[in-house]
Amino acid sequence: MQRDHGCHRIDHSLSRRGFLASGAVAGVAGLCTPGVAKEIDKKQKRVLQVFLQGGVSQLESWDPKPGTLYGGPFRAIPTSVPGMHISELLPHTAQRMHLLSIVRGINLKTNSHHDGRLFMEMGRRAGEFPYMGSVAAKYLMPNDAPLPGYLHVTTRGLTDDTHAFLDARYGQLKLAGHKVPDNLLPPKTVSNDSALRSRALLKRLNTRFAGRGGQKSFIDSYNASFEMAEKLMARRALFEGEPSGQDLDRYGRHSFGRNCLLARTLLENGGTVVKVTHHGYDTHAENFNFHLEQLGEFDKTFCMLLDDLHESGMLESTLVMIYSEFGRTPKINVRYGRDHWGSAWSIALGGQGITPGAIVGATNTDGTEVSDREVDGGHLFHTYLQALGIDSTEYHTLGGRKVPIGDPAREPIGELLA
Amino acid sequence: MRTRVFQILVVATLVVTHARAMIAAEPASLTHRVDELIEAALPEFSQHASTDCTDAEFLRRVSLDLTATIPSAHDTRHFLDDSRPSQLKRSEWIDQLLASPAYARRMQYLLDWILMERRTSENIASAGWQTYLRQAAAENRPWDQLANEILVETGSEPKTRSRARFYLDRDFDLTVLTRDVGRIFLGKDLECAQCHDHPVVDAYLQRHYHGLKAFLNRSYLFTDPKSKKKSIGEKAEGVVTFTSVFDDTTGKTAPRILDLAEILDPKGTDKQYVTKPSKSARGIPKYSRREQLGLAVTSEQNRAFRLNIANRLWAAMMGRGLVEPLDFSHPDNPASHPQLLELLGDQLHDHAYDMKWFLGQLVRTRTYQRSSRPVDGSADIANTHFAVGLLKPLSPEQYAWATMQATGVLSAARTIARKQLEDQAAKQKAKSNKKPDGNKAKEPAKTSESSANSSTSAAPPPAALTISPQALEMAVDKALQGHVTTFVTQFASGGGQRTTFSATAPQALFLVNGELFRGWLKPSSTNLTGRLSKLNQPSDIAEESYIGILNRQPSVSEQAEVAEYLAAAEDRTEAIVELISALLLSAEFRFNH
Repeated sequence: MQRDHGCHRIDHSLSRRGFLASGAVAGVAGLCTPGVAKEIDKKQKRVLQVFLQGGVSQLESWDPKPGTLYGGPFRAIPTSVPGMHISELLPHTAQRMHLLSIVRGINLKTNSHHDGRLFMEMGRRAGEFPYMGSVAAKYLMPNDAPLPGYLHVTTRGLTDDTHAFLDARYGQLKLAGHKVPDNLLPPKTVSNDSALRSRALLKRLNTRFAGRGGQKSFIDSYNASFEMAEKLMARRALFEGEPSGQDLDRYGRHSFGRNCLLARTLLENGGTVVKVTHHGYDTHAENFNFHLEQLGEFDKTFCMLLDDLHESGMLESTLVMIYSEFGRTPKINVRYGRDHWGSAWSIALGGQGITPGAIVGATNTDGTEVSDREVDGGHLFHTYLQALGIDSTEYHTLGGRKVPIGDPAREPIGELLA
Repeated sequence: MRTRVFQILVVATLVVTHARAMIAAEPASLTHRVDELIEAALPEFSQHASTDCTDAEFLRRVSLDLTATIPSAHDTRHFLDDSRPSQLKRSEWIDQLLASPAYARRMQYLLDWILMERRTSENIASAGWQTYLRQAAAENRPWDQLANEILVETGSEPKTRSRARFYLDRDFDLTVLTRDVGRIFLGKDLECAQCHDHPVVDAYLQRHYHGLKAFLNRSYLFTDPKSKKKSIGEKAEGVVTFTSVFDDTTGKTAPRILDLAEILDPKGTDKQYVTKPSKSARGIPKYSRREQLGLAVTSEQNRAFRLNIANRLWAAMMGRGLVEPLDFSHPDNPASHPQLLELLGDQLHDHAYDMKWFLGQLVRTRTYQRSSRPVDGSADIANTHFAVGLLKPLSPEQYAWATMQATGVLSAARTIARKQLEDQAAKQKAKSNKKPDGNKAKEPAKTSESSANSSTSAAPPPAALTISPQALEMAVDKALQGHVTTFVTQFASGGGQRTTFSATAPQALFLVNGELFRGWLKPSSTNLTGRLSKLNQPSDIAEESYIGILNRQPSVSEQAEVAEYLAAAEDRTEAIVELISALLLSAEFRFNH
């Protein structure tokens, strides 16, 4: 295929430079100490999403094919689940596979970052639907939640309209990595009382303005931004202060390590859906070196986070998703790269509502197509929500309108549900 | 202050007379036909249509749309107190705005958003590019000329180098440029037709993408070995071929715009150079394919060019494009009002792509001047049929200027800028007077000092008159540029022109706690807080704050609300600051309504 040195959509570019640079920037992370977790309401269900941006290779992760035509140089290693093998690039994860399950037969029928990501997030191939994170926030977030419902820790600022027709307060709030958000401190000159009265006046003004009509989604989004801001201000302490040396040793001092520490803090402190993005899997060139490097960072860090959730008892009420917008081609190109591949790839799931230690679906010997239990973003979307106890075959009710939560033409992967 | 208003009025009146004559000459104005087509597109339109907006709504709306800021408290009062018929004073106000230097400022911002899509400055300093756009807007340079200038520019001549920002700050990346030329000038996003015919859009073909690419693929980014400056070189060879990743069909194309004819290289130009490309020399071919791009894009035959700009300017005024998204025009995603779009495109073309005339026509329509309050039960249908004034989120630049206007930052900056220019002018005059006649040197300096407040003085024409409104506004721009940039950083969602809106928590935090914003509220002798602090009556405070921030009179209940708010406060100044803050943060201020 002739391609102009890679697709240049913003969510498409492999940025080794950007990745290394972001890792080199030391920042201040504010993270709570272990122990807080003990007080967590175990009934509150949560979601941890780890998004491997760019499209992680299934062959170098969940579905290795050593010794086959396209298998690449890496071996498969046994895991804590008898008979289950994953790539040797994930040695720590391998020891914890009894907590996770793998879906190996995903076929999205698209090779586009944009379309693949939306399908994986919305459970629909097209149209304007809320992301799974926004849906989960809507149905899981308590009214008095101390934090915004859907938080995304990422080092890049892609703007996603994640809530679609749902209320803007379920939209994703992006945090620029682990750095303390700007402007969290109220002006010194304003008394608390005065600030409260001003805010009350503002609410009255905005209610009146909303009452006169106009595009509701605009006004909702605007008002929700202040609600979220208030929550962040009230929980400023979560972002300040340095994580303990012990935590940094375990998670790693790179930005993904710090971002995962922040994710833990957010989950422990009332976050409902927390997404962490690990960038840099779009390996059109040097696929093997990049995966060695990237998954090396992912593996240990993710496992520390998984251990912490497990040990604090939170894992059983937290759905864990490790996913991408697609996988990578079995065929290795002339630059030792693998290209976009939505046709036969894998993700891993665990925690709340998921049967652990399972493998669902399979690909053929060379990994060129799904050979068993083919599923797509629609099936996965139902599965995530059902695992959380949300009936995805029901409807969102919006005024007089009803919109099916999941795609009615798809169903959950029943054998994965605990 | 007086002097300035006077100057603007003089300039405005001249242009008004001229513009009137032009409009009167037209048989059926575009304004009229727009309304007809909009109203004919929906059965029982009148049932769903909102009434005419109030004068206050109109004043704020059109000032933001044509000059990127809200009117001053003074102008607001003046307009609202003017008892002449609404249509007359509205029309005059439109003429005045179009003739003012601030119109060029607004267009500079809009064109920058459309063309650069919030890209950061890398190879070309942003200031030069902004000046180029400002000047083009001030001259009302036609869109086709502007497009052509930008698309043929190589960046090798210092005088016109800024124009190359379109190419150079995209690093002359062929994929990005091919896509952006399609999106920005033709309204078509062909990216997914790069590797195969578009999977979803039947009408976007791989050959369309590669036809555009063929204009550009011989060009490359040249770095001068000495100055390290980048510019665009071009080779005199190279063909574009493509293979579908789906069915292995292959194609080869010369430059072409969509389905128009291929533009073949003239015979005997293959590998012929004016300057042969080398490490030290920028390649200049005898025949440049890239130069053809500007001509081909803006050509008579290429209808996509006129429809695209008509749709983009319509969207900027009306809150939504006739085609949405603005860069996704194709048969399966037709315009909501196809006939109207054709009309707008043709009229713009027939008026030599005169954007000022075009915008003037749009804002005179009933469609533009409808209230943003929907008729009960008709909100949804009215939104999609332009039967109600749509809310438009303020662009970051509009937001910055409106906030600075409301808080008094703008007028303070203007006073300082005027003083500086007057001083400069006085100095220069003194210099030039010194040469022929040394003893007059002192006089101009004296008059400039007294001219600020006194209108009774019989002194010779004050130095202020030599300062053009354009020069003054440029000086104000320079002084406030940093603030505008801060707003752009904070409020721009990435990417190009669009009509959607999404607010974020960091933005809210910037407004609630940010030092810049809060600093503007601290009482001073020149700002709104200072002005309000001097008023005793709560009703005066309510009036002044509503006029200055929301450009309208407060209702009786709003007056009572302000009075109550002030009465309950311990610290009056603090209460005034927080009152202003609440009004500035209100949705009514955040949107153009």
